[in-house]
Amino acid sequence: MVATDATSFPAAPAQDASSDFHRLSFTGSGKEYFGIWIVNAFLTIVTLGVYSAWAKVRRNRYFYGNTVLLGRAFEYHATGGQILIGRLIVLGYLILYNVMLIFVPVVGIILGLLLLVFVPFLVARGLRFSARVTSYRNVRFDFVGRAGGAFLAFIVGPVVAVISFGILAPLASRWAWRYIGSNMRYGDRAFVTEPRLADLYKTWALVAVMVVVGLLVFFFFASLTLSTLVVAPGTGLGQMPRLQFGSYVFGILTYLVGAALFTAIGLFYRAGIRNAAWSATIFDRKHRLLSNMSRSDYAWVVISGFVVTILTLGLMRPWAAVRVARYVNDHTAVRFNGNVGEIFDRIEAQGSAVGAEFMDIEGFDIGF
Amino acid sequence: MASEDRLIAIGEWHPAGSSRSVPSRLVDDGANIVARDEAGGALACADLAAIEISPRVGAIPRRVAFPDGSLFESADNDAVDRFLKGKGRSGFINELERFHPRLIAVVAATVLCGIAIYRYAVPALVEVAVLVTPPIVPKIMSASTIETMDRMLFDKTQLTSERQDNIREGFKAIAALSSRGDAGYTLNFRKGGVAGPNAFALPDGTLVVTDELVELAGDDTEMIVGVLAHEIGHVDLEHSLRQIYRAAGIAGLIMMIGGDVGSGTEDLLVQGAGLLSLSYSRGAESAADRHSVELMQKAGRDPTAIARFFDVLEEKLDDHLDTSILSTHPGTPERRKAILDYAAEVRAKAQ
Repeated sequence: MVATDATSFPAAPAQDASSDFHRLSFTGSGKEYFGIWIVNAFLTIVTLGVYSAWAKVRRNRYFYGNTVLLGRAFEYHATGGQILIGRLIVLGYLILYNVMLIFVPVVGIILGLLLLVFVPFLVARGLRFSARVTSYRNVRFDFVGRAGGAFLAFIVGPVVAVISFGILAPLASRWAWRYIGSNMRYGDRAFVTEPRLADLYKTWALVAVMVVVGLLVFFFFASLTLSTLVVAPGTGLGQMPRLQFGSYVFGILTYLVGAALFTAIGLFYRAGIRNAAWSATIFDRKHRLLSNMSRSDYAWVVISGFVVTILTLGLMRPWAAVRVARYVNDHTAVRFNGNVGEIFDRIEAQGSAVGAEFMDIEGFDIGF
Repeated sequence: MASEDRLIAIGEWHPAGSSRSVPSRLVDDGANIVARDEAGGALACADLAAIEISPRVGAIPRRVAFPDGSLFESADNDAVDRFLKGKGRSGFINELERFHPRLIAVVAATVLCGIAIYRYAVPALVEVAVLVTPPIVPKIMSASTIETMDRMLFDKTQLTSERQDNIREGFKAIAALSSRGDAGYTLNFRKGGVAGPNAFALPDGTLVVTDELVELAGDDTEMIVGVLAHEIGHVDLEHSLRQIYRAAGIAGLIMMIGGDVGSGTEDLLVQGAGLLSLSYSRGAESAADRHSVELMQKAGRDPTAIARFFDVLEEKLDDHLDTSILSTHPGTPERRKAILDYAAEVRAKAQ
């Protein structure tokens, strides 16, 4: 009961003491990540992109390795070679697809449809890869979802959300989170994610209001832009440049206002859904995951980080990335049912899953 | 036995595949690397060559993986580094990553390399790609484009055959002077429909003029020929292929550096690249304009004929738009002026 209401747990610290309640934390710093980030960028450019696979490994090792629960960090085990091969295959296919689309459209379209057919398969493979290269306390995660589930979650879901004008978006979110969550394994133990539609719709309702208000604001600006454009042809030549300049400024302003508004709303929705979905996740049938991000704080952290990144020509990106990671981790927790030490002493690797990973390539990368 | 041990680092040991952890010390007993429990018993033991020590990244815990699958983990990175340094192993990349004034040089080098790739490597690659593209490619490309446009956009021309022949004659005269020669081009007339008064060239030398443009020109055939010379310019200078390869190159560049700039910044870069490609497109238009002037001059025709086309555009379509960063073509008044200036220059040279 308590856990499904995402916002209630910070207000109830008394309860935390009685059960084993533990927050994640992020121990990295922008200063430390800066070096990793810029060296990654430098080596990637110098090697014409080849190093990017190893750059990703270092970046993920840094972020996973600084994500700490119960004093222990997560770990990322993928190798640059695995990621490079996966990328080369995907890149090769995309190049072939684009070349064909331009020069032999029929073949291009067939390749595109084929890709669409393969997407669920690739997504499932990508999730499995990401899970298997992640470990905590020497035990790996695993992902057992199939292509069928990925098809429902990542193809049918978005289509349903779009053709219902967003009204069924929570249903799509539910499919996606359930697919990812309920197919996740940690060692020999399973996760179960059953987000309640009522909770998802609670987030959705507020976002829907914001979208409607946002559209009104957007159309207000857009109509201002249009009116300057309509005025323009009728006026004398001497006034033209300034008026035109005005309409460009309005056009750009409209675009910026629209982009900012809808980015904020998107972040708002994402945070709300994450809260609802994480808080509806149970590990090993008795331990609850919790997420209590404040939607507006999360949107603020992401957007202000982006603005600072732009203003510093990218140099503050490491700071912004670390800040987001810290915010998210600080608002994620696990409530263990029982003694933590004993719980972890009993969890063992599943065995077969780990060996297979070395033959794996990344496929599509979908972060989770 | 324990007296011979040299301590490497203090940490925790995990049995293979288990999350159970045991407080442990990693020691070098002279022959092997050993993880010992608090009582001094060996938990795991292997030759240095057989164990795998994870490269250092920031201050995240270091993993020492034993061949039996068990794992020693320590937060004491410096101690592990000291031990490895003693064995002659050091992490070059981690050394570079350390927060140090040297990073300013890395930032500068990154920016310079990025600019160099954008300015030199991408254009060079585009040239190479254009060179190695077999002529069959633009042919197939153009055939499918014109087929699509015929189906979606155009109707049969309604111009009289005299009018067509009239234009074709002027066209042949200038096409013969172009680098591909008369045979390199085919001129097609179409009713433009929503495309309106328009002319365009496909990369294999297929040119299309709409009836609307011919009507707009009235009796001024010379002006139409000037416009066609402009389109020949696009083909001669291989603008379409270049534009395609350039877009692909820039997209690749963004994807390449796009490792971790955040999705917002990546979107911004893509938009910025879009704006830059518009400027490239404006440059191509101006180059084709100059090509028209040169060809017309060579053919002994009026090199400023295409400028008259812009007069008509301005007059009849009320097109006074100036150049902006958002347009694919230079602004009409500006373009006409550039053409007149260039025509004067070419004429002066010819005399």
